[in-house]
Amino acid sequence: MNLPPFDIQMAAHERGRHPEHGAPVSQNDDVWLVIPAYNEGQVIADVVEGARKTFPNIVVVDDGSADDSAKHIMTTGAHLVRHPVNLGQGAALQTGLAYALAQPGAQYFATFDADGQHQTADVEKMVSLLRAGEADVVLGSRFIEQNGQVPWIKRVVLRTAATVSPTARKLKLTDSHNGLRVLNREAASRIRITMNGMAHASEIVSFLAGADLRVAELPVDILYTDYSRAKGQSLINGVNIIFDISLRERGRR
Amino acid sequence: MNYFWIQLVLIVGAVILAFMFIRRWDAANTRAWKRIAFSVFVIANIYAILRPSDVTWVAHKLGVGRGTDLVLYVMVLAMGFLTLNTFLRFRSLEKKLTDLARTVAINEGARLNGERFDLDLPVSAPVKSNGA
Repeated sequence: MNLPPFDIQMAAHERGRHPEHGAPVSQNDDVWLVIPAYNEGQVIADVVEGARKTFPNIVVVDDGSADDSAKHIMTTGAHLVRHPVNLGQGAALQTGLAYALAQPGAQYFATFDADGQHQTADVEKMVSLLRAGEADVVLGSRFIEQNGQVPWIKRVVLRTAATVSPTARKLKLTDSHNGLRVLNREAASRIRITMNGMAHASEIVSFLAGADLRVAELPVDILYTDYSRAKGQSLINGVNIIFDISLRERGRR
Repeated sequence: MNYFWIQLVLIVGAVILAFMFIRRWDAANTRAWKRIAFSVFVIANIYAILRPSDVTWVAHKLGVGRGTDLVLYVMVLAMGFLTLNTFLRFRSLEKKLTDLARTVAINEGARLNGERFDLDLPVSAPVKSNGA
């Protein structure tokens, strides 16, 4: 499963001679971006086209949006997968991963937010860490290097979440709820997100803590635009997340 | 008045509730027990209508003052079972719905994107999440 980086570069180069569906030839041919989108019609096309400059392979999972997200995605070069009904972000991520895993040549899988708060430069850094074979999973963290972008109330809550969560502590994570993650093929095919709602972030962390995968964290920059601030999870939703997780932990035994 | 018996009944009920939550039941078994419980409920109902004073007698034996109070206590337990049962049922339905929607989405997506980009994309077998 873990090809040495050299082979992967070769394989990417070989595929470069037959460019797939008109995408620019790129050395990131073996990377798939998974973008869950729910009512993101306003920004999704820009975000996708921006990301496609670096990563030609993108699958956007339209999670049963009520707006015209799907129409906007169709104008881009990204693959579109539509949930017939709204299931939640966790379910959308799992669907996107399943779709990307079935694509030929896919080796690395990145989860990316639809509201444009993530940077492709960060994904490139994270992928190169995986290519070097130094980790199986790389998680983005807002807190390794302080960039002053995170609103202070969010900082306090997220740091607390990372500190009190036993699994996040085990992995020595500084940020357990970052939407930016890159997985290699082994990790992506082993993960099973069963929490459909927002509790999937904690679920992924606890899966990683229980699996014998090497997890690394890399500092990432988050652009908190007015749009993403308005779309982002409210802090009160943290109550829902805690409830979902505690029910799941109990249901598992 | 000695509350021992009613306390025992209520605590045992609560413990069974907790167990129901933790353990996974095999469907046929659970259904049989639910049917037995329902039959007992109906019989007890008819008996209690015909001889209401007997309920009070049972209540006294258990350490409860009146038959009505006993009925209330039992109802609280029954409520708990009902709520839990509904919750578990909803959760398993949600899981099935997710698997179904995911399979539809991926296959439909493969067809759609295959047409858009003129590719031959793999149509996957039904995806199943392993039950938690």
